[in-house]
Amino acid sequence: MSITHLQEQIKQAAHEKQRLQIIGNQSKVSLIDNHTPLEIGGYTGVTSYDPAELVVTVKTGTKIADLQQELAQHNQMLAFDTPDYGDSTIGGSYACGLSGPSQPFFGALRDFVLGIKMIDGKGQALTFGGEMIKNVAGYDVARMLVGSKGLFGVVTEISLKVLPLMEEKTYSMEMGQADAIIKMNEMAGTALPISGCAYYQGKLYYRLIGIHPPQSAMPEDNTIWQKVNPFRPEISGKQKLWRVSIDSMHPPIHNTLLIDQVGARRWIVSEHKPDVSHVDLWDLQDKKRRPSFDSHPKITDIKKGLKSVFDPYGIFH
Amino acid sequence: MNVVQELLQSFSREQIIVDDEQKAPFECDGLSAYREKPLAVVLPASIEEVQLALNICRKYKTPVITRGSGTGLSGGALPTQDGVVLGLSKMNRILNIDPLARTAVVEPGVRNITISQEAAPHNLYYAPDPSSQVACSIGGNVAENSGGVHCLKYGLTVHNVLAIKVITLDGEELTLDYKDDGIDLLALLNGSEGLLGIIVEIKVKLLPKAEASQLIMAAFHKVSDCANAVTNILKSGIIPAGLEMMDQFSIEAAEAFAHVGYPLEAAALLLCEVDGNQYQVEADTKKVSSLLNENGAYLLKLSQNDEERIALWQGRKNAFPAVGRLSPDYYCMDGTIPRNKLAYVLDQIDDMSKRYELKVANVFHAGDGNLHPLILYDAQIPGELEKTEQFGAEILKLCIDVGGTITGEHGVGVEKLDSMCQQFSAPEIEIFHQIKQVFDPENLLNPGKAVPTLHRCAELGQMHVHHGELPFAHLERF
Repeated sequence: MSITHLQEQIKQAAHEKQRLQIIGNQSKVSLIDNHTPLEIGGYTGVTSYDPAELVVTVKTGTKIADLQQELAQHNQMLAFDTPDYGDSTIGGSYACGLSGPSQPFFGALRDFVLGIKMIDGKGQALTFGGEMIKNVAGYDVARMLVGSKGLFGVVTEISLKVLPLMEEKTYSMEMGQADAIIKMNEMAGTALPISGCAYYQGKLYYRLIGIHPPQSAMPEDNTIWQKVNPFRPEISGKQKLWRVSIDSMHPPIHNTLLIDQVGARRWIVSEHKPDVSHVDLWDLQDKKRRPSFDSHPKITDIKKGLKSVFDPYGIFH
Repeated sequence: MNVVQELLQSFSREQIIVDDEQKAPFECDGLSAYREKPLAVVLPASIEEVQLALNICRKYKTPVITRGSGTGLSGGALPTQDGVVLGLSKMNRILNIDPLARTAVVEPGVRNITISQEAAPHNLYYAPDPSSQVACSIGGNVAENSGGVHCLKYGLTVHNVLAIKVITLDGEELTLDYKDDGIDLLALLNGSEGLLGIIVEIKVKLLPKAEASQLIMAAFHKVSDCANAVTNILKSGIIPAGLEMMDQFSIEAAEAFAHVGYPLEAAALLLCEVDGNQYQVEADTKKVSSLLNENGAYLLKLSQNDEERIALWQGRKNAFPAVGRLSPDYYCMDGTIPRNKLAYVLDQIDDMSKRYELKVANVFHAGDGNLHPLILYDAQIPGELEKTEQFGAEILKLCIDVGGTITGEHGVGVEKLDSMCQQFSAPEIEIFHQIKQVFDPENLLNPGKAVPTLHRCAELGQMHVHHGELPFAHLERF
């Protein structure tokens, strides 16, 4: 697979008024009817990596697990805990903007993006950002497209900041949900080196990195973090799984199954959409999630305008 | 009726400046080599007044140049003759600090350092710390995506802003939140240099103060040893809170200014600060010290207390004014390079310095590869400013050639428009123009900044003709 090949496929789609769907390893989406797949899953490998620069540049079809393994050989890691749904690619994580429990402490995926190479709807190969930790030349298109779900074009390479691999220890405390929300926020305001803080099945779990003072809480193994990220609870009947992004101190919400990210992310199982802002229907079983709609019409207009800048012929799903 | 008359009718006399003499302080920002007097300066005190001013300017198709404290270093707030400056210094209230949620909501005119001062009773602070933090405003920080000494570990402005309220050209008030799904407009607005909207409210992340901080100062006889030490510290798994390097000329200037005890005979000085809990800081200090020794540091000094740590930073933080005392003028560059090219780039700058016969002082954020060569010149000597700018442009080209970028934290403004033509291809620049058009179809918000016109790039010969096909053949070239 080559960039030229992808460019040709896009130009042809524009010419023939085809609609393309960018597909990695299909861990998050399945093919939509009447769309031609634009396969990126075979475009794999690290294109440049110098551990001392704390930057890796990788082709977007690369599996997260493979990338993590490569980094671990140099005692480094991706620090945004992006979930792996099985064979998930780094391009899919970027397209969906998926970050895990460490987000409040180290930042979200978008905070680690330094640059991208992409092909737009005209088939033009474009570069935005680069491999520098600091770079403010031009609009930050590389970050803007995090979470854009492939609507603007196909991102072929991503440069990401990496961090040293950290030794982690997990602890737990039993308590009620309301108390846990306050407690986790209090803890996050101290100098304790936390890298994860969640509430699940009556217990507040927290993860510490590096050297830290002795803890009175119960020691746990680190597997809890894989259990909640990605979070895939058993759901029955008409119930649905909702992901809510909310202020960390927001009081408990009915039907919450898991609280993550120091209270800023709530996972709710219910038939109906929870009555709060920033709710996303999270149903990976049918793999046909639709992007959420914005409430303000001006924001919708701006996003439509931006879509037409990158994809003037409307070929990307 | 014209735009000035209508503004005069709509705002009180304290909020509008039309007198030529009173407009003088607004004719430039921190890049004082470029000056222009605007039609008027309006100083709104509320979101409604920003909308009012914007509506009037839009009605008369008058450009609007938003300005914070005017400390920007790339001419991002340079007025235009036919435009109105919208100064946001009166919007300087802290609206809310939520210590438990660790957030602050502030107006754009709040000074950067004020946020940390107000958060201090809760043992919290706002991390991004541009050197101008006692003066620069948070709104300007967002518009420029400002950096600072602590960026390597704690990120730039974009990493520490949770939400903004922005007024679009047509007067709409929008809230952009990091929690929003899909296209990340919050990221796009950070660093957009006032070209897409007016930022009128900002919600920032506050961080807990570190339990302990230790500054380690290391002196080297060879610049390359210092550069290698930087690489090896980062390779070892330690991310310092600050990692700053100065060359001999800067050391001399800073010491003469701040008297903090820098070793004058050193070819390069490294300031490395580690922070965290007591246990971690002790372990990291030991590891960094031994790495510095292994990499050829001939002198190590550990701060004994917080006062000494802050004092040692003062030299570095005052390096710019210190160099300013040595020359009538200096030109501060802002390129970023891969750290492994540090020694090579410094050698090249040294060669250029000889060639241009202009002295250069190098102070930089070694941890993130952000260079700040200060070129010393005298604007009174005919042609010397032009020579200095040419020297600066050559440094930026060198940054691109080694895989870096033309600006790490100061922005493009008017200063680096030509260098943008070197970093970006014509289709990429065209995309930038189209993004601008989505937000500002009439091109009234800070026009002429940040993104060069394509014919400007063509004029500079930066557009390459491939197989005889001239790109953008329809464009005027003059």
